[in-house]
Amino acid sequence: MNGRVRWWAGVLVPFGLLAAGRWFLPLPFLVEVLVFSVYTMACNFLLGRVGFISFGQPAYLAAGAYGTAFYLFYAGRDPLLGIAAGVATGLAVSALVGLVFVRLRSDYFALVNLALAVIVYHLLQKVLAPWTRGDNGLWFLDRMTATPWVDLTRPEGFVWFAWGVAVAVWALYKYLDDTVFGACCLATKTNEDKVKFLGYHDFAVRWAAFVLANTTAALAGSLYGVYFGFVSPDMASAARAADPVVVTILGGTGTLYGPLVGSLAYVGMKDLVSGVVGNWEFFVGVLLVVIMLAGERGIWGTLEPWLRRRWAWRRPAPALQE
Amino acid sequence: MDGNLWVSGVVYGLSMGSIFFLLAAGLSLCFGLMRIISLDQLLYYSLGAYVAYQVSVSTGLVWPGILCGALAAGLVSLAVERWVFYRIYAREITFTMITSFGVLMAGVGAIKYLWGLVPRPMGIPIEAQVAVLGAPVPVYRLLVIGVAVAVYGLIQWVLNRTIVGTAIRAAVEDVDQVEGLGVDVYRLFTGTFVGAGVLSGLAGALHGPLVMVDPQMGLEVVPFVFMVVIIGGLGSLKGTLVSAFLVGQVVSLGSLVYAPLAQMAPFAAMLLILLWKPTGLYGSALVRR
Repeated sequence: MNGRVRWWAGVLVPFGLLAAGRWFLPLPFLVEVLVFSVYTMACNFLLGRVGFISFGQPAYLAAGAYGTAFYLFYAGRDPLLGIAAGVATGLAVSALVGLVFVRLRSDYFALVNLALAVIVYHLLQKVLAPWTRGDNGLWFLDRMTATPWVDLTRPEGFVWFAWGVAVAVWALYKYLDDTVFGACCLATKTNEDKVKFLGYHDFAVRWAAFVLANTTAALAGSLYGVYFGFVSPDMASAARAADPVVVTILGGTGTLYGPLVGSLAYVGMKDLVSGVVGNWEFFVGVLLVVIMLAGERGIWGTLEPWLRRRWAWRRPAPALQE
Repeated sequence: MDGNLWVSGVVYGLSMGSIFFLLAAGLSLCFGLMRIISLDQLLYYSLGAYVAYQVSVSTGLVWPGILCGALAAGLVSLAVERWVFYRIYAREITFTMITSFGVLMAGVGAIKYLWGLVPRPMGIPIEAQVAVLGAPVPVYRLLVIGVAVAVYGLIQWVLNRTIVGTAIRAAVEDVDQVEGLGVDVYRLFTGTFVGAGVLSGLAGALHGPLVMVDPQMGLEVVPFVFMVVIIGGLGSLKGTLVSAFLVGQVVSLGSLVYAPLAQMAPFAAMLLILLWKPTGLYGSALVRR
């Protein structure tokens, strides 16, 4: 019982803080942080748990966004079904390409994914232009009907929906850490031969992890689609390909709170620094190099031991009594 | 279809392939010797282009500008090597990839700060055209191809005929043995890295007059350069040359056949090649990790 409370407290405290931010943070900023953290969680799982570094996340982001967009533009009007359509598209795409991609080792994997992002970009921009309208993108903001409870078509409602999705995704990944599957993922990262010896199918484990993570990225894509009511091929642009990887490392690879802290820092830096100086890339780049040279623990990875010490210093008693 | 169009298409593809080769050769050498993936080469490429632009605009001389671009790129790469890469040579490949991406990002930010976001046109040093098989071809593009071929010859000569080159080739096979023989491998590393930086700067400076100089130019060329390196096989110079010209031709001739596919076709080709031969066309099993 106590353990379960603490488990959920671990999920709800940071997101509760973020929900409280609704009253003093600007709305677009909060939505961006939430959706970006979902996007980054996928990358964090791939990089920190499975050891895959992918420079092709925009491909899956765009798959989700366009799945949603096609449904809302051509078929239905319900944004929830649109998001479901986006997730299904992402699932299909990643399940298919995953069969081929997960055979490759880390550096080639990163670059093959980058190639996929470029292919998806040109598919959306040129080859499928009769359906995607090329660079003009698809606009469907006024086609969406209002949903009950939280109205997804209005930013005030959408922020709560995005919050709920982020909590759910985060709880899922936290839960996975405790399961056999999570342990297998971690094991394929460290030593895949031993995974085979233990009787697990390492290809299946990696494939499932790949599909799971990229479906999450697609979910983030469909969230973006519904929020803006607009999608364009720029979502798959290779120039933004390393963003999730950068944010993952900024936050702290493989840490649970990393994606959240990283997105907060990244989006914050983008908004603050670009408002003051105009070139936030310089600061993000320098910060990235510093973090890598300082032992690649990231912002959260550095903060966590410090917070833990303070926490333990304040109340040492419960730990001793157990 | 018009024969002239094909001839100029082939020349266009060759000149583009030359630029890709100059960029990818440094990347490939760095990988072969130091086992790093140095994405910051793309920064030296942009930097070379911008310095060449700046010098050619302020003095009106384009060729010295191109030279200055290459030299400036070399200097910056020396600084980056000293302060960043020197500390991380021993780390795994993905680590160097991410760190160098940070360098690239910071550099692009600095370029945006110094020169602004607007793409700048750069004067072309030779306006003249010559007839090749009856088709008018800009002399400058032919010169670019010439430079790339000369650089290939120069690198081959250094690697095969000089004592430093011999040490580099040996270090590609086994760094520890070479170090054991009393060679200061870190000086080899520095030399190779700066050499790669100069080549990247040269590529950018030569490419500047052909395209607009723009802060994102490094990021735009990333996928193509990686494709060249991967198709050719990481660490193989000959493979890099072959695949650079191959990719240049696919992009150039592909756009003559069916424009929308031109940018995409090489990536599809790369996927197929990687799935069929994961080490690339000329990559040896030795380079695989």
